Amino acid sequence: MQECFSVYFLPCLWAFCACVGFGLVFNIQGRGILICGFGAALGWLVYLLSTRYLAGDIVSAFLASAVIGFYSEVMARVRRCPVTGYLQVALLPLVPGAGIYHAMQYCVAGNTELFLSTLLHTIGFAAALSVGAMLITSLLRALLPRLHLGGH
Amino acid sequence: MDHDKLLNLGAELGRRLMTSGAEIYRVEESVERLLSAYGADPQVFAIPTCLIVSVNTPDGHPITRMCRIPAHGTDIELLERCNELCRHLCREPLPLEEAQALVDHLEPDRRQFPSWVLLLGYTAAAAFFSLFFGGGLRDCLAAALCGMAVGACLLFGQRFTGSNVFFRTLICSAVAAGMALLLVRAGLGQSQEYITIGTLMVLVPGMALTNAMREIMAGDIISGLTRTAEVLLVATAIALGTAIPLVFSSPF
Repeated sequence: MQECFSVYFLPCLWAFCACVGFGLVFNIQGRGILICGFGAALGWLVYLLSTRYLAGDIVSAFLASAVIGFYSEVMARVRRCPVTGYLQVALLPLVPGAGIYHAMQYCVAGNTELFLSTLLHTIGFAAALSVGAMLITSLLRALLPRLHLGGH
Repeated sequence: MDHDKLLNLGAELGRRLMTSGAEIYRVEESVERLLSAYGADPQVFAIPTCLIVSVNTPDGHPITRMCRIPAHGTDIELLERCNELCRHLCREPLPLEEAQALVDHLEPDRRQFPSWVLLLGYTAAAAFFSLFFGGGLRDCLAAALCGMAVGACLLFGQRFTGSNVFFRTLICSAVAAGMALLLVRAGLGQSQEYITIGTLMVLVPGMALTNAMREIMAGDIISGLTRTAEVLLVATAIALGTAIPLVFSSPF
């Protein structure tokens, strides 16, 4: 129980709060900001569970971003808003910012091997995120042509 | 119908969509739908820095408008308003003058947070990301201070940092790393690593890299590559900026 709290609940709570902060910076008004924060927490929970029980981190990133994509598309259709904001903010905890930063740190330090391996891993991670989100978007667009205008 | 006005309407709406941070495919699709709703057959091309819209008048004369897109942030409120107006106009095309007036009012009439709320946003983002990456409570406080400093640099420091994204990022990340170092030396923060990385989440172009990938997957290769190049540039600026305080502090 204790472990559950500190391993799963707290990181998701921090992700929620941090993304609400980013929502303010991105000028998301009204209830949308809480929806984004919740999406971020959900995505991170999926990522944590998946890295623990299922697969490596790139596959987990794919799964998590697919879940975030589905959540954002549903919310965008319910609220009749573009999906961009929800998706961008909810993906923030997963986004490989630290990876790019470390890669360029190695580059500046002249450590070419570590630079290249970190960079490639980061690009793979970002690609997995984008494929996951795009896949859900395309699937929903194909499957729900009647509701297409809702997400336009 | 006056095709000059129609072209202006489409280009202005597209420009606002671009500056609010919409994806390329969304901009192209929205402008195309809008102009098609008015009965024109438009050609739209967008890359992150430029938007080109072209239509043919009924007597076959081609007219084109190009908008240069300045550096911009993300403004979801503006994006939602543009999108709403675009859908509204596609459903029932209003007379061009009325539609143009609505487009002109999009930007001044949108709701915006006052700058202290934005500063609070930067602070919260930095503080909670340092907790998120594994920092303790004291790191969180230190990161909040660093985040506030970076937010203040971004919001109020444009006169000093200039509009060049490379130098702005370099200065902001130098401020972040320098403050993290000072706060750790002063005894407030415990781990410089967690404080710095939490604060840098505000600057780091992870989102931009993911967007670049999404654009490449969506088929907008040029936009995707432009954004990838920008990501590498910004990341280099961050790496250089964080190295500055470390170099200067090492003799002490």
